[in-house]
Amino acid sequence: MSLTLYDYALDENGYKVRLLLGALRVPHETVAVDLFPGAEQTRPPLIDLNPLGTLPILVEGETVLRDAEAILAYLARAHDPAGTWLPHDAAALGETMAWLVFAARDLHAATLARRTAMFDAPGDAAALERAARDAFRVMEDHMVLRGLSGGLWFVGGAATVADLALFPAFALSRDFGIDHEAYPALRRWTRRVRALPGFCTMPGIPDYH
Amino acid sequence: MDRVMDEAPGWYALALSADIDPATSAGTRLFGHELVVWRDAAGAAHVWEDRCPHRGMRLSFGFVRGDHIACLYHGWRYDTAGQCRFIPAHPDLEVGPMIRANTHPTREGQGFVWVWWGSPSAPADGPAGGAPTPLRSLHLDAPAARVLETLDAAPAADGLVRTSLGGLPVLVALQPLCAGQSAAHILIDGPADAFDSADRAQAARACTALRRAVEARAARGIAETRAAP
Repeated sequence: MSLTLYDYALDENGYKVRLLLGALRVPHETVAVDLFPGAEQTRPPLIDLNPLGTLPILVEGETVLRDAEAILAYLARAHDPAGTWLPHDAAALGETMAWLVFAARDLHAATLARRTAMFDAPGDAAALERAARDAFRVMEDHMVLRGLSGGLWFVGGAATVADLALFPAFALSRDFGIDHEAYPALRRWTRRVRALPGFCTMPGIPDYH
Repeated sequence: MDRVMDEAPGWYALALSADIDPATSAGTRLFGHELVVWRDAAGAAHVWEDRCPHRGMRLSFGFVRGDHIACLYHGWRYDTAGQCRFIPAHPDLEVGPMIRANTHPTREGQGFVWVWWGSPSAPADGPAGGAPTPLRSLHLDAPAARVLETLDAAPAADGLVRTSLGGLPVLVALQPLCAGQSAAHILIDGPADAFDSADRAQAARACTALRRAVEARAARGIAETRAAP
């Protein structure tokens, strides 16, 4: 069954999905969408696949999915027989979902801040940056606590889709003027993510490892 | 806008030693000056101006290979003395002694990475000794003075504040980042096996409570300044 990802190279939401496809080594094809400046995803034929007019979109057989976090959950269930990327344990699944929601909701400010900085998209850059800083602080405090009990990942003993959903916004934060100075625990965590098997970079995330 | 800060000479902690892994770098600031803290593969820590002499790119965006730190822009590589040793665009060039990064006297002791600030040469004595248990570095939107007021404590002769957080004895080293921001590098004062993970978690939660209190105090101070005629 062929798997197609509608994606834009500079979009961190598509990058979340690329990270998991790389980790799971799932064969797929990518359709490059002109998100900026063309906004191709808001017109037919893509608007018929996703009425929200957003990227990424994943199509596998009859299944059509939007929103990176939902796609991550689907891919983990469908293509990770070991079941580590989306835990089965109820508590770990709940915690993973909480971070997926956080990535989609709280870190959206980081996505918008980056679009404001890079594509001149409309938005209150200062307010978006403040919101992104608040979100990074929540992540830093969490990884400090995890580290004090020997935890290396956001949830449980191995990398999950939560780590992949949270990684791009922080790794790309210098694109919109937030340095990593204030986040030593996250800085060390990004190195772990970068060392995952199948890891790939995107523009803005240097390829030096 | 940063007002001019009083850059008192001395040793300043810039990081917990445990947070700078071998062959990694981290950017930071002291009195608004951008610095890179990096550790070579052999384990020695270095603090330099965070600036590649070539095009001014921050070295903390680059990467460490063995005993060299390399700039992300064009891959210029510097040895532990700051001397440029390799320029990828001119691989056969023996780089002249004029191409040097600006280095600062660096020491490691008591669990912190320290830089000497204030005059070109550091005093012979400086921070040294055993490493207590790392807790965390806390970055605050408030000057270091607000942290001291909130803790109701003052640094000892060695620059460290001794107090307690969450019922545990801690050592706090303050780093003035710029006029309105500071970092508090915090260790638990004792060997790692003396505390379990619940103790450490309790102390870590006391750190976030401290940050709330310090930032609230700083925000009140700003409001009062604005209200003054």
